[in-house]
Amino acid sequence: MAIGTHNLKRFFSQYKILALLFAIAVIWLFFGQLTDGAFLTPRNFSNLLRQMAITGMLASGMVFIIISGEIDLSVGASLGLLGGIAAIMDYTYHFPVPVTIVTVIVLGVGIGLFNGYWVAYLRVPSFIVSLAGFLAFRGLLLGLTKGTTVPLESPALVMIGQAYLPTMFGNLLGLGLFALMAVLTFRTRSGRAQHGLAVSPLWQDAVKLVVIGAVIVGFVYTLNLYEGIPVPVLVTLIILGIFSFLAKQTVFGRRIYSVGSNLEATRLSGVNVRMVKMLVFGLMGLMCAFAGLTTTARLAAGSPSAGTLGELDAIASCFIGGASSRGGVGTVYGALIGALIMASLDNGMSMIGVESFWQMIVKGAILLLAVWIDVISGAGSER
Amino acid sequence: MSEYLLDMRGIVKDFNGVKALDGIDLKVRPGEVVGLCGENGAGKSTLMKVLSAVYPYGTWQGQIFWEGKELKAHTIRQTEEAGIVIIHQELMLVPQLSVAENIFMGNEIRLPGGLMNYSAMYKRAEELMAELKMPDVNVALPVYHYGGGHQQLIEIAKALNKRAKLLILDEPTSSLTKAETEILLDIIRDLKRKGVACVMISHKLDEIAAVCDTISVIRDGAHVGTRPMSGMDTNEIITMMVGREIKNLFPREEHPIGEVFFEARNVTCLDVNNPRRKRVDNISFTLRKGEILGVAGLVGAGRTELAMAIFGCYPGQYDAELWLDGKQISVDSPRSAVMQGICLVPEDRKRHGIVPLQGVGANITMAVLKDYARYGVINSEKELHQIEKSIARMRIKTASPDLPIRGLSGGNQQKAVLSKMLLPNPKVLILDEPTRGVDVGAKYEIYKLMFELVKQGLSIIMISSELPEVLGISDRVLVIGEGQLRGDFINEGLTQEQVLTAALGQSSELAA
Repeated sequence: MAIGTHNLKRFFSQYKILALLFAIAVIWLFFGQLTDGAFLTPRNFSNLLRQMAITGMLASGMVFIIISGEIDLSVGASLGLLGGIAAIMDYTYHFPVPVTIVTVIVLGVGIGLFNGYWVAYLRVPSFIVSLAGFLAFRGLLLGLTKGTTVPLESPALVMIGQAYLPTMFGNLLGLGLFALMAVLTFRTRSGRAQHGLAVSPLWQDAVKLVVIGAVIVGFVYTLNLYEGIPVPVLVTLIILGIFSFLAKQTVFGRRIYSVGSNLEATRLSGVNVRMVKMLVFGLMGLMCAFAGLTTTARLAAGSPSAGTLGELDAIASCFIGGASSRGGVGTVYGALIGALIMASLDNGMSMIGVESFWQMIVKGAILLLAVWIDVISGAGSER
Repeated sequence: MSEYLLDMRGIVKDFNGVKALDGIDLKVRPGEVVGLCGENGAGKSTLMKVLSAVYPYGTWQGQIFWEGKELKAHTIRQTEEAGIVIIHQELMLVPQLSVAENIFMGNEIRLPGGLMNYSAMYKRAEELMAELKMPDVNVALPVYHYGGGHQQLIEIAKALNKRAKLLILDEPTSSLTKAETEILLDIIRDLKRKGVACVMISHKLDEIAAVCDTISVIRDGAHVGTRPMSGMDTNEIITMMVGREIKNLFPREEHPIGEVFFEARNVTCLDVNNPRRKRVDNISFTLRKGEILGVAGLVGAGRTELAMAIFGCYPGQYDAELWLDGKQISVDSPRSAVMQGICLVPEDRKRHGIVPLQGVGANITMAVLKDYARYGVINSEKELHQIEKSIARMRIKTASPDLPIRGLSGGNQQKAVLSKMLLPNPKVLILDEPTRGVDVGAKYEIYKLMFELVKQGLSIIMISSELPEVLGISDRVLVIGEGQLRGDFINEGLTQEQVLTAALGQSSELAA
């Protein structure tokens, strides 16, 4: 037993990302088998990614909240509220689409900063602040919509959730992305060499680029076999790129990790830790706005129940993707892979006709397992 | 039965292929006090964790014989039942629970039905307190009523209550005052007479010399030697520990001292929980350019609170008027302190100094990260360049700047925290216990660095509980006692006795 957990522990801490990809492969093969391949068609792949996009957006914001050592239970409700506001602005008041989008985004960031202010400056635990939001935002939405579904009027707004990128454009995008990765890799190499620092061997970087290239080709090709890259998926990928950059390369990103790992030491180094926390919630609010707009566009209506339990899917995605429940650890791509695992389970179980109560039980069990793996493999367990 | 109570033979422990212990022997006779010495990272704590089954049997190689029989313990509970009790450097008491409840934690005396038998526990706790010469402790009061010295003794009472035959004390005096230390050493001698053996890990060699029968030195995970204490002197021990002779522990260097540069007036801090109590009571002092000002005093005298008030991070209510370079400054947060040229290296490195999960490099540049960024985007190469410079300057031992800092030894962590606080180019640097838990070699390097810095015109305030350090390094010494300024001495011919007398509040008017 002792040796068994020890090996498991080492395996997961060293190859966390591989373990996740392995899990996805197993899940896909499993459902592919049970559905006689229907699960593995380009059409379902496209569906799966669209399903994952909304949870993915929330998880991208949530992962920073969790890294900074907090939690946000209100995101499902604020997604619903923001989506509802978008629908009302469009259908009831006939605002132009850009105005609606900008307003919702500003409101989303505002809601996030409001939560963050309560947490960081008024020092109410985030669990409580967001639990209050969980109730209040949903209540606000029910009041605004009077409990009814509000349809959308502008086709342009619907496109955010339902359109696909033309094939040609998708190809160009894939090519551009690959070029960017190649340029970045070589810039890092020459930069390090210039400062007399150790550079990893050329073949290693070359292999990395080949793998990246293969993934991009496979991804774009498969989606183009169906209708093309769905717009929400594109948005999620752009968020992935920007947020990964934010996490690794910016002062703000570094601060988030250090606040989560040791708040006091960070504060005593002269960092405005409250501001960092508040901004992390602001970012979460921005993601709620994106997710709210996408949800409303996808349904072509603002529903009073939109986003229900969305916070739990997002939180679960982060933990499955390797974020630590003790803060200080986590990645955006991990959170998105977590979201993909959740979406695959949802989609696959629906296809083979598993009843929804079973789906909830399975997802709950997976969340528990993921955090358990974090606890046994994770930082600090030896202390 | 063998003559040894404990006989550890050829202990080897490795972490992912790195040998932390490489064939260590340790033998303890009944009623013997063994001093275990070694630099930080030498393997002392690892050895004790092997002994107390924090690392269970099977995760290391070698044999442990306990009272003649091989001990194969898998849990701490098993070693405690055998009679091996470890008292950690950081005390493991629950401050809100009473003294008696702490002593009996985990082995409460129960009445039928699981109720606690308080009267029996109080009686036994009082007996233990009397045995430890603390009859005035009220065992029904919460532990937080008592200071560090008492708490240490309460831990020992807890161990005695478990019928310990071997006590392991890990840096037992690191937060004790001189008087409290004396009491503790007395009690160790007393326990020795009653047949309780002791392994004492300490950096304070005079204490080891005062109480130990035998001294065992380890270095880099290997056993250097075990000798009877009589006939050893501290220089020999140091030589064994570091493998080279450090002739002068305090590399004092002459340096010019300028005009008064920084001044704190009327600093008063109120206790967080009890605002009627003043932790710092109207202290004013000055600091000259290029001066090292030592701040001495007993633990709990208010030295750390004074530093926190100056750095803008005292958690309770406080007042402080600060003047820097002729201008009054206002400091309301660590951030504004750092921006105005005041930096603090805190006392509690683990809680306040390091960000454990981040790399050594990220820790070093934390305070000045914005200088390596444009529009919030970090220029990694520029940052890395500075990090490598800092690591080289401070001789921080790390395989890579990306390695999480928590894997480093105390001395190296401290050097990293110091580098972090030097990068903002402070004018006033406050060092709170800069060499606590730091090995002899790193200590020496830190002192060297301090002199290098003051020669460049920096002013340093050094808070320290080690009088030899205060007297060996400082140009001037402030003595704080019970929140008040008790003395301000030029460090010329100053003796430990003078400083202690002032700290205790006697005849401070004799101050030079």
